[in-house]
Amino acid sequence: MRIPFLVRTLAGGLAAALLATVAHAQAGQEITFWIRAADAGFVEPLVKTWNDKHANKVALTVIPSDDFVTKFGTAVAGGAAPDVVAIDLIFVPAFAQAGQLSDIGAEAKNLPFAKSLSPSHVRLAMHNGKQYAVPFSAESSFLLYNKALFKRAGLDPNKPPTTMAELEADAKKIAALGGGVKGFYFSGACGGCNIFTMTPYIWASGGDVFSADNKSETLDNPALRNTLAMYRRMWKDGVMPGGVKTDNGSNFISPFFSGKIGMQGTGAFAIGLLKKDHPEIDFGVTPLPGEKGGSASFAGGDSIAIPVGSKHKKEAWDFITWCLSEEVQVEQFAKNGSIPVRADLADNAYSKQDSRFAMASAAMQTGRTPYSVHFNQLINDPNGPWLAMIQEAVFGRGVDVAIKEGQAKFRQILATP
Amino acid sequence: MIELAPLAMPHAVNDTSGRRPWRKLGLQAAYYGLCTVLLLMFLFPILWSLLTSFETAAEASASPPSYWPSHFSLENYRNLARYGQGIGRYLGNSAGVAVMTVLFTLVLATLGGYGFSRFRFPARNALFMLILATLMIPFQSILNPLFVLLRLLHLQDTQLGLALVYTTFQLPFAVFMMRNAFDAVPKEIEEAAVLDGCSPMSLLIRVMLPLVGPGLATVALFAFFGSWNELLAALILISDSRAFTLPVMLINAQSGQLGSVNWGLMQAGIVLSIAPCAALFLLLQRYYIQGLVAGAVKA
Amino acid sequence: MLTLIGFKTPRRWAGFFFILPCLAVTTMFFIVPLLMTVWMSLNEWPLLGHPSFSGLKNYVDLFQDASFWGSVLFTAKYTLVVTPAIFLFAFSLALLVHRGVRFVGIFRTAYFLPVVIGMTTASLLWTWLFNDQVGIFSAVLMDLGWVDEPVQWLGETNSALVSIVVMVLWKAAGFTMVILLVGMQAIPIDLYEAACLDGAGWWAQVRHITIPMMRRTFALALTMSFIGSFLAFEQFFVMTRGGPFNSTITVVHWIYRASFTYFKLGYGAAMSVVLLLMLLVLSGVQLYLLRDEP
Repeated sequence: MRIPFLVRTLAGGLAAALLATVAHAQAGQEITFWIRAADAGFVEPLVKTWNDKHANKVALTVIPSDDFVTKFGTAVAGGAAPDVVAIDLIFVPAFAQAGQLSDIGAEAKNLPFAKSLSPSHVRLAMHNGKQYAVPFSAESSFLLYNKALFKRAGLDPNKPPTTMAELEADAKKIAALGGGVKGFYFSGACGGCNIFTMTPYIWASGGDVFSADNKSETLDNPALRNTLAMYRRMWKDGVMPGGVKTDNGSNFISPFFSGKIGMQGTGAFAIGLLKKDHPEIDFGVTPLPGEKGGSASFAGGDSIAIPVGSKHKKEAWDFITWCLSEEVQVEQFAKNGSIPVRADLADNAYSKQDSRFAMASAAMQTGRTPYSVHFNQLINDPNGPWLAMIQEAVFGRGVDVAIKEGQAKFRQILATP
Repeated sequence: MIELAPLAMPHAVNDTSGRRPWRKLGLQAAYYGLCTVLLLMFLFPILWSLLTSFETAAEASASPPSYWPSHFSLENYRNLARYGQGIGRYLGNSAGVAVMTVLFTLVLATLGGYGFSRFRFPARNALFMLILATLMIPFQSILNPLFVLLRLLHLQDTQLGLALVYTTFQLPFAVFMMRNAFDAVPKEIEEAAVLDGCSPMSLLIRVMLPLVGPGLATVALFAFFGSWNELLAALILISDSRAFTLPVMLINAQSGQLGSVNWGLMQAGIVLSIAPCAALFLLLQRYYIQGLVAGAVKA
Repeated sequence: MLTLIGFKTPRRWAGFFFILPCLAVTTMFFIVPLLMTVWMSLNEWPLLGHPSFSGLKNYVDLFQDASFWGSVLFTAKYTLVVTPAIFLFAFSLALLVHRGVRFVGIFRTAYFLPVVIGMTTASLLWTWLFNDQVGIFSAVLMDLGWVDEPVQWLGETNSALVSIVVMVLWKAAGFTMVILLVGMQAIPIDLYEAACLDGAGWWAQVRHITIPMMRRTFALALTMSFIGSFLAFEQFFVMTRGGPFNSTITVVHWIYRASFTYFKLGYGAAMSVVLLLMLLVLSGVQLYLLRDEP
């Protein structure tokens, strides 16, 4: 039977159109993914691995860490948000409250490993009972110390300090070695660095920065007072190098590389870095101690979320699930010196190789994270009240003045919606 | 070298009576000595950065710093070249935006400068002040409205949009320069051409333009510098990382964990940022300085 | 169309057509966003969220905001320090390279070279130089034995201010130098020759001829420098982050913080409007000075 020309053409056209649609679907969507420059090291290989294996491609954009909030906020406000974003977990409450993140509670609960996801990340992703993000990368804080310097100062390198008093005494002994060697280091002009490494002393000593409901400050407590006083004494006694006053985080880890710093607070990333680039430094790790023993840690890292304006929500979620899979958490994160965000994967082939990673993972699981929609204004802002209080207490007029002024400013900011 | 018109010599050095040659020599030595010291002071930071960029990454971050590289290494430049999608792409992006900015600025400023210089029309001074007012608002203040505006015009995330924004910020200085450059051209030349039957447009192109070469070079150079080095607008108005310009890429490349800085990479980045600007400046400085000279006289 | 511009249309309107393109671009990419900013200043406008009209509330809050006026005061202090410093330094440089001796072109080029570098790059460069761990200045002083510990250049408010002024001098002096050179150019040589014959020394010539005849050039250089310094931001943002103790925050830095740390775009917009008005007044002064007949 002869098929009329018109019908043949139409059929041909239809077939071509169908083929094109199928081909397009197979060619994949493009998912835009924004991260901070600080994460680029481990995210870039991750994205490359995904792109090699999947039809939907992830287009990664790395944004300077300092300007991340400006850029993301402007883009969101202007309706140009990316499909997926990885932000420091402490920002999630603010963005969730502003209604800029998609509610992924249902999908998150359906994950087989939902219960072993880092509790701090999940807690900070909640707002009004809904969940807006899931964990992406983990970073816990602990005390890093130079074993060689301990030996030289007559201290047992396998017995790091377990109380704040021991820490101060040890630091003094190390600083007494002279020759540019100092006992302790911290970034005195960086708010975020100190909520990470200083707050655990306060927590371990029974105090806190915020109240349990996160609505008010509890700065006036003995634990905080004593922690600040300890730092102030160490500064006045010359136990710390002069540069701590102005270090805005750019020297967060590098002074330790010189081998002239006895102890400092740091994060899990430092372990991998030291092993790779500075094998000559014999270093140990120990939890950050409280006044009378005990310990605490700040559970940090990034959370990953889908902004409200995303046009590829399903594809974005596929990518996120992949990032949380065992294969990725172990082969990408753990292998490269990070700790997984899933408690069920804390014990893996790579962490077994070095007990220091195990310690970092353990710290992560018991770590704490303050929840506040004003976190950036209060804590991370280099001109904000948290840093101002620390600077006034350690380098300025003293602990009492600092706490009093800090309280006033905290209250002012917390009072805004 | 830069050639200015005959310079006055109001100095005793000009005394050619020959009575105290040793004093003249002493003063000359002191003069050249002082100038050389200043020259070294001005060039030192750049040269020091250049030197450090050739150290290994570890040595560049060493404390205390080395005075001379223990061995020369291209590690920093290699790291820079490999970063992200390869330095070539970001250089290309920056170059594309810069070329567009230069072209737009030249065209708009030449037309505008000519108009303000040679014609009388209502509100002439007010409109000139309006264009100059752009100098008085920091970009941070209009960054958000500008973002929204570019999105409405579908220019967001494009090199064209960024170039137009850069052009806008170049216009006050550029129009000012071109206006004064045109002011400096004698009216007789114009009048002769008009008598010959020239329309204002062809008068501009065929007669005036060749006479304001220095002004054009100045405007072009400043537009290039402004566009090549700009960070904040490039960061906020471009979202696709494949379209990032050089300054944005450099900031990303040198940032490490929690604010730490890769010092060696930073030096390599600085050298890379400065090199085209310095090269362009040295090549065209005759026109550049002369252009500023012509432009500022009528202030 | 061209012929229309040429002869049919009155000449005065021809000029209008020539300035139309640059006026259009300025209107689109500056005036329109500026008007939007003014509108934003009349609202409670959070960066993420919905704006609500609030009239002049932002301005009322602003007038009572001590930290904003503190930043204005600091910016004024910085401007009053850096403007004469740049001016005196640039004037000295101009006097030095004003003569047509050999190699003077090389010197002029070297003094001008930092001008071509962007302010962000320059700030990063000098932050590195001033750094106590890896910076060369502290290292040299320690090796010379002049100090025992690395110097914290940016650690105290006043030393930070001086350090930043040094950086700005390095970067900007060349530009002012050239503007001043131009002014010197315009002075007739005969005046100098006559003074020389009368026995006037070099300094006397500068005092009685050069300086008085450059009044208008001085006015131009000073006011451009003044406005630029008032809008200073990058050097403080990069080098001190506004520290120590938040003592080096400039007005533009405050605007940036209000908008992007506190997410209060409306408030930041109000600050911008106030800043613009302040600078318009300053420019009015500039216009007045420039209109003065010597």
